Amino acid sequence: MAVPSFFSRFRTGLTPDTMVSTLATGLFFFLLLCPLIGLSFDLLHAFMTGSADLAAPLVLSPRRTGLLVASIGLAAAVAGAGVILGVLFVSALIRLPGKLLCGILFLLLALAGIPPYIHALTWSEVMQVAGAALPGLPTTGWLISFWVELMALLPLSVFLTWIAFASIDIRLVDAGRLVRSDISILRHIIIPLAAPALGAAFGFVFLICCTDFSVPSLFGADVYALDIFAQFSASNSAAQAFLYALPLLLVTLIVMIACRSGIRTLAQTPNWFSARFGNPPVFPRWFRFLQTTAAIIVGVQIFVLFFGLMLAVGSPDTFITSIRMAQNELVYSLLTAVLVIFISLPLALAAAQELKKPGIRGATAWIIVLVPLAVPAPLIGIGMITLGNLPVLSAIYPALLMPALVSVIKFAPFAAIILFIQMRFIDPLLLDAAAVFARSRTDALTRIHLPLFAPGLVVSAGILAALTLAELGATLIVAPPGHATITMRIYNYLHYGSSSDVAGLCLMVTLLTLVVCSGTMLALRFISRNPAPPDGESIV
Amino acid sequence: MPVYDVEATKTTGLVNRLIAEKARPQADVFWSGEFSQTIVLKNKSVLAPYQSPSAEDIPAQYKDADGYWTGFGGRARIFIVNTDLLTPSQFPHSVYDMLESTYPGKTIGIAYPMFGTTATHAAALYSYLGKEKAHAFFTSLNNRNVRVVDGNSVVRDLVADGQLVYGLTDTDDACGAVESGRNVTIVIPDQGEGEMGTLVIPNTVALIAGAPHPAEAKVFMDYLLDKKSESVMVASGWIQIPVRDIPASTCINSTGIKTIPITYQDTYDALQPAQNDLTELFIR
Repeated sequence: MAVPSFFSRFRTGLTPDTMVSTLATGLFFFLLLCPLIGLSFDLLHAFMTGSADLAAPLVLSPRRTGLLVASIGLAAAVAGAGVILGVLFVSALIRLPGKLLCGILFLLLALAGIPPYIHALTWSEVMQVAGAALPGLPTTGWLISFWVELMALLPLSVFLTWIAFASIDIRLVDAGRLVRSDISILRHIIIPLAAPALGAAFGFVFLICCTDFSVPSLFGADVYALDIFAQFSASNSAAQAFLYALPLLLVTLIVMIACRSGIRTLAQTPNWFSARFGNPPVFPRWFRFLQTTAAIIVGVQIFVLFFGLMLAVGSPDTFITSIRMAQNELVYSLLTAVLVIFISLPLALAAAQELKKPGIRGATAWIIVLVPLAVPAPLIGIGMITLGNLPVLSAIYPALLMPALVSVIKFAPFAAIILFIQMRFIDPLLLDAAAVFARSRTDALTRIHLPLFAPGLVVSAGILAALTLAELGATLIVAPPGHATITMRIYNYLHYGSSSDVAGLCLMVTLLTLVVCSGTMLALRFISRNPAPPDGESIV
Repeated sequence: MPVYDVEATKTTGLVNRLIAEKARPQADVFWSGEFSQTIVLKNKSVLAPYQSPSAEDIPAQYKDADGYWTGFGGRARIFIVNTDLLTPSQFPHSVYDMLESTYPGKTIGIAYPMFGTTATHAAALYSYLGKEKAHAFFTSLNNRNVRVVDGNSVVRDLVADGQLVYGLTDTDDACGAVESGRNVTIVIPDQGEGEMGTLVIPNTVALIAGAPHPAEAKVFMDYLLDKKSESVMVASGWIQIPVRDIPASTCINSTGIKTIPITYQDTYDALQPAQNDLTELFIR
């Protein structure tokens, strides 16, 4: 009979493991959608009470259309140039020894954690000096905005391009090198194979550039994100700002969904340090010139930022003083980062299983995971506050947890994607064997599952910590009374023009990010040392 | 304990947070460096009336008629001028000087007039001059390609670095540069006979309705509004324009400063229309 058979199937499918996994996945997806739910309630309230003009944002005037097109153009130009420079620089990196390569990549990752506004201020100083030497050099406008935004996002672009290069099968490259020149291999094998992942790199950089107005506004270029903030400021209505943000949200969402195949390609990356040729490649002179130019640009960016900050700090005493004055914020930032890691990892691990699912179910999971990446940070904060203050939820409003929760919403999707990638390298037979032969669930979890997932968990933890340390836009809105993060202090100092303190704290954030990256690297090495099991002991 | 507002989202983020938390307030007191967002909170029923005994000697123009907020010493809108690039005879004296062709537009700076105190100043001009004249003023400013930057502190930095000859900013920003020995000076605009004066923006403090700690909040407000506290804040550089008879800031001589003859409520009423108009004008 159909009905009992259905229930029987349902009952057998509901093991404690699947229940926990389903619960965790559901909680994760709910958490990611919380800001949008909050904003929707605000929208509904505004509609019911007529407290905000909700019709105006839905009409895309010529002015707003122009801004949207300009923003997309700037973001596409920055992302495109970032990926091109990334390809040139990474194609030069593949000849380097492993340790040096790791050093450069982690330095770039550490610099990627510095807020774009800091890059803008440093480059503004450079432009001032350069402007004195070259009077015709533009100091405002789209060109300089493009350059500074590119410089701010270059470390991330190069890092993502490296991952894209590492996603290709090096054996195909080696086979091709037997019969064709290295430049031909790059054009006909490496770039086509890396194209989907390069597309994902383009998408991430495009997304960040599209939602940032701090750099363009500093150099007098108006973008759509600034208009959203202006509307928010004028109306004091999160609902209205949300409606204004919709066109940009739609564009970024489309780009992120288009990048989904690229992210899936990254899942085939066997080893992120594998993109090294056995023998150094030989490229023609014109290409070496381009590679050198790209390397100089990356070098200049690192030099300008690092030495600009060090010069602005002035002396070790200033550096120590600025750290001492910010020790409460430092402790709070570190505690928040630890909390974000502990909340995100189990939920992201459960969600990664869902991303693996085929068809509409997997596609829906991907959209839910990608949505928070496209929502401007202040709207995430306002959405969470609105939701948390609904009558049914206000009694359990977790004030102290809120900074951690907004970072979970913003950054746990990265953890889910990384764990999804990690999952592709785990032999499912090992998990099946653990399920059948393990002495207990705890044993299977601690001795099989966690060791297998460890590399992905460590990388996710490192990235979550680095991103949480640099977060500002959403944390600022939800920070509980009496608590502030290190980035909040940086922006406070920026307001009062205390450049040596700002530089000192930025230098500290850079060093902290480097420590996090180095810690991640050491942990990965420790995990991959692959010790032999003790004699006579079986894991099952 | 305070939740600090920062440059990145200005007061808007904090005010929206307080509105969103109205049903279950987390804060006890709202202390702002300006007044318009405090009036927003009053209109959104986020504030509760409280008339502090410490504020009895504060002039009525700085206090809400219904007792929802009280103003005290603050800052003024001024020009910061680079003294390496301009001689005293070349200093600007009126906001209308920004429209004169003496200096290229790109050597003069203002912050985006849709945000922060520049928005409040713009609203005051809309209220005093009327929409048409104010719109014409900002249109001319925009057509001159005056450098419009992210905040008043950026105006200060660009003038102090010599990238701009002068700019419109707040006394608190400018005094920082003056006191750190940069080659800049402060000019209070429109102080001459028949000129409109400048905008003085007081600090405002208000009690949150349903505050978790109302008794402590009142004690804090009484302390903050005390004349001695205002003196301390002037001495520390937090405020430059006291509202009571106390020694003024060393950075700027504010004695007898002429202010735009409008009320704070007038400025507030003009704020949103001005912001909408200026957004259309400046973000394109």
